[in-house]
Amino acid sequence: MLKYILRRIFQMVPTVLGVIFLTFILFNIVPNDLAAISLGKNVTPEMLERFDEIRGLNLPLFFGKKASTRAMNDQNFSKEIYDWRGDDITYNFDERFISVNFKNNFNPLLFKLNESYKYEWTGIARGNGVIAGNEFNSKNWINFKIISNSNDSEVFFGNIDFKKIKIRKIINNPFNSQLFFYFKQLSNADFGYSESFKQPVTKLLSDGIWPSLSLTIPIFFIGLFVSIFLSLVCALFRNKFIDRFFVILSVALMSINYVVYIVAGQYLLGFKMNIFPVWGYESLSYLFLPVLIGVISGLGSNIRFYRTIMLDEMYKDYVRTAYSKGASKFRVLFKHILKNASIPIITNVVIAIPFLYTGSLLLENFFGIPGLGYLGINAILSADIDVVRALVLIGSLLFVLSNLLTDICYALVDPRVKLR
Amino acid sequence: MKKFQTIGLWYDAWRRLKNDKVAMISLFIVIVFTLLAIYGELVYQYHNALDLTPNYQKTNLEIAYTSPSMDHLMGTDGLGRDVMGRLVQGVRIAYKVGIITSLIAIPIGVFLGCLAGYYGGKIDDFIVWFYSTVASMPGLLFILAIAMIFKGQGLLGIYLGIGLTTWVGLCRLIRGEVLKHKELTYVQSAKVLGISSSKIMFKHILPNIFHIIIVTFTLRFPAAVGTEVIMSYLGIGVQNQPSWGLMIESARMRLWQGMWWEMTFVTIALFLLVLSFNLLGDSLRDALDPKLND
Repeated sequence: MLKYILRRIFQMVPTVLGVIFLTFILFNIVPNDLAAISLGKNVTPEMLERFDEIRGLNLPLFFGKKASTRAMNDQNFSKEIYDWRGDDITYNFDERFISVNFKNNFNPLLFKLNESYKYEWTGIARGNGVIAGNEFNSKNWINFKIISNSNDSEVFFGNIDFKKIKIRKIINNPFNSQLFFYFKQLSNADFGYSESFKQPVTKLLSDGIWPSLSLTIPIFFIGLFVSIFLSLVCALFRNKFIDRFFVILSVALMSINYVVYIVAGQYLLGFKMNIFPVWGYESLSYLFLPVLIGVISGLGSNIRFYRTIMLDEMYKDYVRTAYSKGASKFRVLFKHILKNASIPIITNVVIAIPFLYTGSLLLENFFGIPGLGYLGINAILSADIDVVRALVLIGSLLFVLSNLLTDICYALVDPRVKLR
Repeated sequence: MKKFQTIGLWYDAWRRLKNDKVAMISLFIVIVFTLLAIYGELVYQYHNALDLTPNYQKTNLEIAYTSPSMDHLMGTDGLGRDVMGRLVQGVRIAYKVGIITSLIAIPIGVFLGCLAGYYGGKIDDFIVWFYSTVASMPGLLFILAIAMIFKGQGLLGIYLGIGLTTWVGLCRLIRGEVLKHKELTYVQSAKVLGISSSKIMFKHILPNIFHIIIVTFTLRFPAAVGTEVIMSYLGIGVQNQPSWGLMIESARMRLWQGMWWEMTFVTIALFLLVLSFNLLGDSLRDALDPKLND
């Protein structure tokens, strides 16, 4: 048994790495500017740079010695893409370069650079003066490459023509990348800092889990109990009116949108009949309506699922044996069939664990229950990347873990599994 | 001989389907919705091309919240816009989402499923690893996260969010079927004849398992529509077009003051569309391949 569990844990490793890598792709690689998505419109480059700094986003993605900085965009004057403006600056349209004649010191940077790094300036220039604190003297166009510290990078002087110029931060350790930063963060169980709630994500998660569980656990167990009971009733009256009724009902229940359940529940039971409070999280009575809606909305697919399981079992040999021994229909159903059907039921139960944790996004949001689902939706609406990433990551890791638990349960119930 | 057999399968399925009353009613409703969607698209394109404001976007505050009448069969909403016109546009958006997300998800699922099932070995290991990783992602939250990253780009976020996450089930099914078909004589003989692997996969095996794709399409279509409604309702997705989710969101506020019509008609339309696709999908599955019924 131990050997089997160890083997399964070993097989889990690639999936865990895959999940971490997929969240990395989704949040670090796909969006070209995470900080801009997260911070919105009215921000200074300095704020963006600080956002990047905290999250390691100003490092190379996987591997590399150089990284860009937001202090100055890459200037390519030959393509007329430039944002150097001023009295001392003239643009030569024929040959497409920029002439600068600095009497005073010129600073092309938008904000002060981080002092703990060195910077590399490269470009094409000619003339006589000082570039980033270094003497420059050349009559013809040449490529230059200057290494300077943060203070020198602000010093430009003299008469110089530029065709191109850009600045790169030098990373001393090439492995110090975004991916490495992410792994380092995760190994410290640090999920970052929420920009919209101004709190560490770990705290938000631990605050949100109890309201979520107080909603999802009752939904889950009541739903499980009711749907197993109804599916047994269906199996008992197979192809009779009750069975057909529940089959049709379950398809109809499945076809109603979750949103409609919430709106209708709040309107009919909360407002019209005034049985339940509609919004808030103050006492137990606030949970009744969301739990009821959660149970009913899940009922359709659950009845269908469990009914199929029960019917699968009903035509097996042991059932026929039990009948021919003279066991009553009721006894066969609840003692024999339910016991054997427990394996797929367990699978379904264990697999649902991660969803208990993430809570119900919609229910929490529309009943004002301050759980993880509420947190998730608000984080998505305000583009709070760290919170969303943490929720996605934890949800998927729990899914992997509960898969493992399912397999172990399987092996406990059915020893043949271990041999596969 | 071959041709006769292909017709046989579909003819047989159609014959079974024809005797199924529920399936025929569902098919009829699906056809009606499809025609509505085409009509909605024509109206939209017409007004777009001539740069006109279509009726369903025209606001007239004087007739805001009028209950159903002969002028406006389904009443008007808070800005005096015709609910029926907006409802039809909602069908158009629902179809767009259903079809485009299918065009993203189904090719991915089929392609990866075929490769994994046919080649086996390392390729299979890799694809199984890949889809189990994607399957581990927490459903709606993952879709919303993708949509968030493509924020401000209209429906693209919804298309990618739903499309890129819902191919796993199909991929599993196709992989299993290809694994089975690989051992059958017709594939073996094709191999002996020296036909290339890609040709065997996509010209010989794929037509034989094509019914899986049809059933999957019919069943994932309503799911995609439902997800789009939830996303628009939450304010992540369509903003300036009349999606059903947005209509429900705006009608929700007024429902408590007795303005029932927008909410009622939208939810009925949504329910009918999803229900008929679900029922049709179930019947198709039974008719095309009873073994698929899980």
